[in-house]
Amino acid sequence: MLLAGGQGSRLKALTSKVAKPAVPFGGKYRIIDFPLSNCVNSGIDTVGVLTQYKPLELNAYIGSGQAWDLDRSDGGVHILPPYVQEDEKGSWYKGTANAIYQNLSFLEQYDPEYVLILSGDHIYKMDYSKMLRHHKETNAACTISVMEVPLEEASRFGIMNVDANDMIYEFEEKPKKPKSNLASMGIYIFTWSKLRKYLMEDEADPSSSNDFGKNIIPTMLADHEIMAAYRFQGYWKDVGTIDSLWDANMDMLDPTAGINPYDTEWPIYAQAALRPPLFTGPAAAIKHSIVTSGSEVSGTVEDSVLFHSVVVEEGAQVRYSILMPGAVVKAGAVVEYSIVAERTVIGAGAHVGADKSDDPEWGIAVVAQDLKVGDGASVPAGAIVTRNIKGVKA
Amino acid sequence: MNNLHGIVFAYRESPDLRELTQLRNGCSIPFGGRYRLVDFALSNLVNAGVTDIGLVVQSSYQSLLDHVGSGKDWDLARKFGGLRVLPPFSFAGRHQSGHYRGRMDALAGVSDYLHNIRQDYVVLCSGDLAANLPIADAFEQHVKSGADITVVCSKTTYTDPKLCNYFSIDPDDGRIIDVAVSPSVVKGDVASLEVYIMSKSLLLSLVDRCADHDQPSFSQGILLANLGKLDMRVFHFDGYIARVVSVAGYFQQNMALLEPHIRADLFNPERPIKTKDKSSPSTYYGPHSSSVNSLISDGCIIEGTVVNSILARGVRVEKGAKVENCVLMQRTCVQEGAVLRYVIADKNVRVCPGRMLMGHSTYPLVIAKNETV
Repeated sequence: MLLAGGQGSRLKALTSKVAKPAVPFGGKYRIIDFPLSNCVNSGIDTVGVLTQYKPLELNAYIGSGQAWDLDRSDGGVHILPPYVQEDEKGSWYKGTANAIYQNLSFLEQYDPEYVLILSGDHIYKMDYSKMLRHHKETNAACTISVMEVPLEEASRFGIMNVDANDMIYEFEEKPKKPKSNLASMGIYIFTWSKLRKYLMEDEADPSSSNDFGKNIIPTMLADHEIMAAYRFQGYWKDVGTIDSLWDANMDMLDPTAGINPYDTEWPIYAQAALRPPLFTGPAAAIKHSIVTSGSEVSGTVEDSVLFHSVVVEEGAQVRYSILMPGAVVKAGAVVEYSIVAERTVIGAGAHVGADKSDDPEWGIAVVAQDLKVGDGASVPAGAIVTRNIKGVKA
Repeated sequence: MNNLHGIVFAYRESPDLRELTQLRNGCSIPFGGRYRLVDFALSNLVNAGVTDIGLVVQSSYQSLLDHVGSGKDWDLARKFGGLRVLPPFSFAGRHQSGHYRGRMDALAGVSDYLHNIRQDYVVLCSGDLAANLPIADAFEQHVKSGADITVVCSKTTYTDPKLCNYFSIDPDDGRIIDVAVSPSVVKGDVASLEVYIMSKSLLLSLVDRCADHDQPSFSQGILLANLGKLDMRVFHFDGYIARVVSVAGYFQQNMALLEPHIRADLFNPERPIKTKDKSSPSTYYGPHSSSVNSLISDGCIIEGTVVNSILARGVRVEKGAKVENCVLMQRTCVQEGAVLRYVIADKNVRVCPGRMLMGHSTYPLVIAKNETV
């Protein structure tokens, strides 16, 4: 069960029209491709995707699930929006646990032994079948995937305190004085009968906020259910903020970062765009970047991530930036430390973002989709642009 | 359902393609980086709204079958109709050679299939022609003009004259009045692109008549035999055309794609060319890489220099390696410091560190599939 209903408000302009899991990532992908591909590569063939906020583009993207080989006659991918229940008023998903509760009938239809709960806003590669094996071996009611984080950063995470056998005895959400450095990754495996029982009880409790981290996990711990921690080692990043999204994209350029998209053993699948190959013009200079089909690069591109159908005209410079599908950088424009969303045009000679500096105002500049930054205009570092910007006459 | 049915002939062999057709037939040769030649015929038909396509194959078609699969990448995996591969099962033994002597042989071999066509019209085309043809327009013209047969033609000579037919046209009524079959020099007004539209009933009767007279050739049995009897007309196409018949031609036709106007024509976004999706990641450029005037498919890792070249998916150019005026097919690996000029490397070729390989534009060096240099 993939929780894909998050609004992603911290991604600001990038999620004004799409749900967070549908935000483009890493040249070829959208964020949701990572958990979906992990499912397929782990041998999971039945996936429910719980959507609610701005679902149009996400639903269209997932479609029949063909891109992930999830167009199955038995199982496959199912989009699960909130709906009006019998004899009741319908409601939006109130929390992560409520989202699953509202789809109990979907789960009952498949009557699984185990249920895997995922979130749609993390970039990582993980074999869930190994985690399931761990869950079975420990005979747990719930297994939570954890990873070690630096102790000084532990207070930003949900921290699991475990015994010598990695069994969880305590859960602390963002503790001021963390006792361990094992952070929850928001990936849970439940034994279905237990999950069902706790979801029903949680729903009956009017004071609950119907959230896995705040309610279900603490209640199960209080009931002394067997709760196992499953240690994950490898690349994992929450891309919920502009900075972390930019960082994770830049990690795609680093062969040592641990998120290798060229690994044929664990491919990440995506709905493909039908475009001819990338054309690099006679004056193109591309260094340390990833570039995607349908693009035409005639200028300079360094340390950047270019999605499909991007145009970088001659004399334009793109550095440390992310250009989403269809973005155009006109001749002589400079784009640095920026994210330019789909189909936005940066006019000739315009300047977006600024080189990294110690200025507290400095940050990644973001230009939302379908906008035009006029010729010669300037967008300062850290700006979030949601309207067209007029050109400046030379 | 569209009222036009597609038949794609995908078995022609061209000996001048040397190593490129050692393990595949001419229609599944990689072209333009990420495509196979057959993608153009299939996409042209699908873009014209054709839902049912028969793909006539004869030999060395394993690579072709692997590429087209169920047809789902062209939206041709359908409950009814869709893509049907037509191997020569019912033809075996009819003639001693076991090879189709011409298109009428091939059509006679699949006559059961032809009888079951649901549409009233049929378009016949070649699987080895790279062009973005407006089949829908040609079909519209065919129906409006009331012609018996409409042939898509070009004014430009696109291949060796010996490999195609030329038509002379009556300037008053636009009918074809003469056919030059594989002449040694260009004759007539226009060159045939081997795309023919006619009604299903006419096709069936022509297939029967040719079989009765043991006439295997389309040019002889249909075009020449019916001059003055059938109303045959031309649909003019003036876009880019490439028919791949030789290694040198293949090289030049790939290189032509570096011209922006040719790419704009062949990859017209209104009529997109579809191909098998491999879920390749984006192409990675290393800190010391350079890529100039080149077409690069997804999934490549480029750490060296690439100039005036066409790279297919998953190609690796390692540090210090130099690739100039080359066509590199899927998963070619050019290792450190190797230098390639005027080379066509087939799939999975590995060029070891420091090797230097040079052909010429008129005689590009071909490295066969899976070979290591």
